[in-house]
Amino acid sequence: MNPPEFNRTLRQLVTLPILLLVLMAGFLVWQIAAATVAQRALDHSDEVTAQLQELQNLFIDEETGLRGFQLTGDPVMLDPWKAAAGPIQSHFAMLRRMLAGDTAQSRALDDLEIRYNQWLGFANAVLHQDAASLNAAGMNQRGKAMMDDIRAATASMVRHEENLRAARSQHARWLQRRELVSLLVSAAVVGLFMGLFTRHHVHAVSASYQRRIAEITDRSNELVESQQWFKTTLESIGDAVIACDQRGAVSFMNAVAEKLTGWPSAQARGKPLAKVFHIINEQTRQACENPVDKVRRLKRVVGLANHTVLVGRDGREYVIDDSAAPIMSGAGKMIGVVLVFRDVTEERQVQTALVASEKLAVAGRLAASIAHEIHNPLDSVANLHFLLADENDPAKREEYLRLAQQELGRTMQISRTMLSLYREPRAPIQIDLRELIEGVLLLVDRRLQHQGIGLETRIAGDLSVEGFPAELRQVFTNLIMNAVEAAGAKGKLRITMERAESAEMHGAGAAIEIADSGPGIPPEAVKRLFQPFFTTKGADGTGLGLWVSMGIVQKHGGSISVVSSNDPELPGACIRVFLPARTMAQQAGEPAA
Amino acid sequence: MPISTILCIDDEALGLEIRKAVLERAGYQVLTAVDGLTGLSLFRGNAIDGVVLDYYMPEMNGGAVAEAMRRERPEIPIMLLSAYINLPTEVVQLADVTVLKGEGPRELLEKLRAMLHSGSTAGGPGTGGTA
Repeated sequence: MNPPEFNRTLRQLVTLPILLLVLMAGFLVWQIAAATVAQRALDHSDEVTAQLQELQNLFIDEETGLRGFQLTGDPVMLDPWKAAAGPIQSHFAMLRRMLAGDTAQSRALDDLEIRYNQWLGFANAVLHQDAASLNAAGMNQRGKAMMDDIRAATASMVRHEENLRAARSQHARWLQRRELVSLLVSAAVVGLFMGLFTRHHVHAVSASYQRRIAEITDRSNELVESQQWFKTTLESIGDAVIACDQRGAVSFMNAVAEKLTGWPSAQARGKPLAKVFHIINEQTRQACENPVDKVRRLKRVVGLANHTVLVGRDGREYVIDDSAAPIMSGAGKMIGVVLVFRDVTEERQVQTALVASEKLAVAGRLAASIAHEIHNPLDSVANLHFLLADENDPAKREEYLRLAQQELGRTMQISRTMLSLYREPRAPIQIDLRELIEGVLLLVDRRLQHQGIGLETRIAGDLSVEGFPAELRQVFTNLIMNAVEAAGAKGKLRITMERAESAEMHGAGAAIEIADSGPGIPPEAVKRLFQPFFTTKGADGTGLGLWVSMGIVQKHGGSISVVSSNDPELPGACIRVFLPARTMAQQAGEPAA
Repeated sequence: MPISTILCIDDEALGLEIRKAVLERAGYQVLTAVDGLTGLSLFRGNAIDGVVLDYYMPEMNGGAVAEAMRRERPEIPIMLLSAYINLPTEVVQLADVTVLKGEGPRELLEKLRAMLHSGSTAGGPGTGGTA
């Protein structure tokens, strides 16, 4: 049951009983009203009967007064007569009003009034006779008969009204019974209905509540399991993990983190990260920015700067590679920071060894090239020396000596060029890029000629960058040789160098593009091109050339990338190198990667 | 004994001329070519007793030239001359002898003489050379 359903059920549980009770109250009000009407009818009958009886008494008073006067002739005897005359009229008027709705009684009342008026006529006639005839027997008999009729009519009306009252009384009792039964039945029905209704809904709510409790229990168990699962995972992975709360205090450390920092987890918990995770720059030995502060500032995943060294509690140092990420709550609030790092000291040593190995391979290739270049003139010199030994003709001797001198000069020129390649300054110097690239081209010129490669150069003349010339020469030798190999026999090569204006990431500098007419680099290889040990040359390549080149270029603050060439004559690979005019490289001979 | 004719192919024109002088001094008749294609046409148009072939040449290297020669006249001995130490094995197998540039003229002449002697059409250098 979801919250809206729960609210609806609650509303039903409150409103439906109220509604039923209101209906029941209405029904009872109707019943009571009917009973009240019946009671009023009873009261009406009682009043009518009382009025009739009073009227009867007044008639008796009048008759008694008249008899007294007849017997005594004393006018005082007529006092009751006189006193009754007014009230009788008002009683008639009252009864007329009261019996307006009852036709039979109204007619009986009219009849009674007529009889009374007749008697009244008779009585007035008696009063106006002389004293002697007042007690005449005939007179008395007539008066008595008339009064008997009046009494009979009144009694008849009283009986009629009493019958009416009896019927009304029965009706009222029936109504009372009906009221009682209705009350009991409706109370039972409403009670039963409310009971069933409430029971049903309470059951539904209860079932839902039980289900929710079961769900919450399951969820809670899952959470505990999941927490255990994550904890075990974090404990067993090879990387060090430290989690901090939002204030930057350590809340979790795995075993690897304990080993590298030298802090047992129990002691580190609650301490500020900077105390446990003390990092400095490998070269400057200055403290690095606390990664938690950086994450809190940037609110995103951050990596550590290169050359970060973790100083353990015991003073041991580890070159580390790490990243820190914010832990966000469901509501998007940062509730902590997790730090993942690993010891890359050995990796760094391996990289250094690999860079050295690639340098050796480059040196080996250069040595072979030098040997070839030097062997040709040396061979000629040896041959000339052989010829000179047995030559007697002075002109020929002169010619042979001149040729030998020329070939020796060529050998020395080659030797000088090679030597200049390996004189490396300790700090970056200003390099004329055109001169540097032309020097490289001089070295590979013979190879280009042998393969019959068409070389096109578009090189701006006045571009200079700061850097280490031997390293950059290594980069361009590598890139140009790759292009030459890819282009194959009679291929085409174009080297473009132009000024690059400052862009978002870089200051101004030089952009060098080397494009070839070879088969190009397959897209799946592009991704791995700059990784160590990746080669497309099979056993002929070390797989380190581009990796080392990238390291050198990056050390100079530049970038190296594969771009697409849109020249149909050069459909192969196009490598773009950007070198900033002012380098970031500080020191020669440091690991490139 | 007839004078042996040697076809000498090398893209280094100066070195080639000097080598020609050395071979002529040793009594051989020498034909020269500065690239593989010229060399092959001389090979087809002349009676050749042996070939001294440079390996590293533009357009058509010594390996390709030797392969074409072997297809046409496998009996002609070929000496492969190179400044490189590590020549491809299949190229070395095409040649009768490989000589490293820089070994010196005496070594070259000695190996050439031995190669011509062991071949079926072998003949030593004539006594009446032009040099």
